[in-house]
Amino acid sequence: MTVSALELSNIEFSWSKQLAPLFSIESLFLQQGQTLFIGGPSGCGKTSLLSLITGIQLARQGNCQVLGTSLGQLSSSERDRFRGEHLGLIFQQFNLLPFLTVQENIELPSKLFASRYNKSVQHFGSVQKHVDILCDALHLSLDLRQRQANLLSVGEQQRVAAARALLGCPALIVADEPTSALDEENKIDFLKLLLTTARAQNSSVITVSHDMRISAQFDQIFLMPSSESKHVLA
Amino acid sequence: MFWLKLVFKSAWSRKYSLSLVAVSVCLSVIVLLGVQQIRADAKHSFSNALSGVDLVVGPRGSQTDLLLYSVFQLGTPTQNMPYADLQRIKEMPAVAWTIPIQLGDSFDGFPVMGTSVDFFKHYRSSGTPLSFQSGQAFQDPSDDANSLLQVVVGAEVAESKKLKLQDAFALTHGYQAIEETVHSDHPFKLVGILKPTGTPLDRSVLISLEAFEALHVGWGFGLRPSAFDAKPDLQSSLPSMAELRPSELTAVWLGLHSRTDVFAARKAIEGMTPTKSSVPLMAVLPGVALDELWQIVRVVENALIVMGILVAICSLLGVVSVLLVGLSARRKELAIYRSLGAGPLSIFKLVALESFLVCLFAIVGGVIGTQILIFLLQDPLLQSFGIQTRHVWPSSDAWLSIGLLLGCALLASLLPAWRAYRMSLSDGLNPPN
Repeated sequence: MTVSALELSNIEFSWSKQLAPLFSIESLFLQQGQTLFIGGPSGCGKTSLLSLITGIQLARQGNCQVLGTSLGQLSSSERDRFRGEHLGLIFQQFNLLPFLTVQENIELPSKLFASRYNKSVQHFGSVQKHVDILCDALHLSLDLRQRQANLLSVGEQQRVAAARALLGCPALIVADEPTSALDEENKIDFLKLLLTTARAQNSSVITVSHDMRISAQFDQIFLMPSSESKHVLA
Repeated sequence: MFWLKLVFKSAWSRKYSLSLVAVSVCLSVIVLLGVQQIRADAKHSFSNALSGVDLVVGPRGSQTDLLLYSVFQLGTPTQNMPYADLQRIKEMPAVAWTIPIQLGDSFDGFPVMGTSVDFFKHYRSSGTPLSFQSGQAFQDPSDDANSLLQVVVGAEVAESKKLKLQDAFALTHGYQAIEETVHSDHPFKLVGILKPTGTPLDRSVLISLEAFEALHVGWGFGLRPSAFDAKPDLQSSLPSMAELRPSELTAVWLGLHSRTDVFAARKAIEGMTPTKSSVPLMAVLPGVALDELWQIVRVVENALIVMGILVAICSLLGVVSVLLVGLSARRKELAIYRSLGAGPLSIFKLVALESFLVCLFAIVGGVIGTQILIFLLQDPLLQSFGIQTRHVWPSSDAWLSIGLLLGCALLASLLPAWRAYRMSLSDGLNPPN
């Protein structure tokens, strides 16, 4: 049986006061270890879909299953815990805690959840070793690791955010417009680094973006449905 | 522990705004505790104006009146007690020592107290014997007649009148200084200036009972003898010491061999068989009566406490408002915590912990600051305001205030925490830029 990283069926999502659903998705499936690009214009509900996948919001209708767990059946605090233990998140801009060093930012998941700590130890011998491997892979120099996060360039911040998301080998990496703050040249470089490093530890990656030019880097592409067509799977 | 470390680092990154908040709380704690400490010290000074004195004896009447005029030199006695009764009291076996008090004259508004040299031996201010800034006590005129017109003044009198040793000045009969009531025939020589005591003694002018009597030889109708016959100098024609023994006293302070005898001694004094010239006496326990007297200024005391509490509340509200304003800037930070698996409740705890810790540090700073300030200001407080501060650990009242303040700080910290909780629920992973 194929293990799914994400399985959506008959999803309808709306903000509570809205009558009409913001979007509906009949079905969406992502196999573990695969990468998925979710595209669509601004305002179509891409980020709302991410908040469903990360368990921040619940669908009005349908089933949202992440890593084999149906999020609708978990309580709010269980969903928070699930997110912390199994998901790594990357955002467009606000990625790092500015008052911590790069090293401290990267280590955060292992400090918060024992399971993330244990996985790093199990696969790499120690958390520090895992940090070193991730930093090398993402071109984060030793000198940079001791720097305060607010002193980094946007590109460096995104790479540190990727390292943090990957620490503790979460099964799923979720990224919201991770390249929109980067210039053209760095976009592809960053994505390649992210996807290669994720693949190396068998983590699935889901990325939402309005920039279709980066979609070619992913195994699977999903376009957010407009009001006319319910969904398009490419 | 990890969250605590995170709270510290996050707070440190906003150290300037948070330190302003902390300073404001710190200052309000200093005001609150300072007011309480000064109030307690003022009360202590007040209650200890007669420490060591076991009984105050005077003509029977109001206890409060007796203390007001004999200790605080406020008001005027309506009746005196005969000097002969002092001898009878002295002879009581329980009585260890006596200090006779004679009042009625003044020096530029400062009350003059006629007493004996025993005053300097037995008087205690907050348990401490009297000491001199300069000079010494006046001598007993019975030992040396030339020392009759010697005077000792309290610290405030010396400061106010810019007096120094060997200065000569005349006292006034009663409290109204007009030419005919000034004892200009008897200029006194200043022989001692007392150190501040924080008691009414700082405002007193002390002379011997004999000198007090000598001032009034030949006086009639409240006017000096020279007002009648223009006699230039009376000093040369002063009567002998034996003739200068007073006939009346305003009050007597006394100490007992054993404080356990205080009620028996009081009973004995109040039960003394009146002689032809004597009046019924009463003996007052000064500690109890002073506490009763303190109740009069209770309203002022309460007003001070209320003021301190209001300052503290305003300051805590300031903390809440600054933290609430600061939360908008922290939305991204909170969203990062959520992305890392922190629930809204964890965010609530995080913000509440930070607010509480800021208040806690500020309160601890305030407690230490109050102690340092009181230590630094003890001399100016005593010299300018007559408040003898005690450098002691905060009283139980003060600890109660600190506890209440911490409780209020905890409650106040819940407001920004609740706001953070709501924001984190609505923002999720998407805080507004």
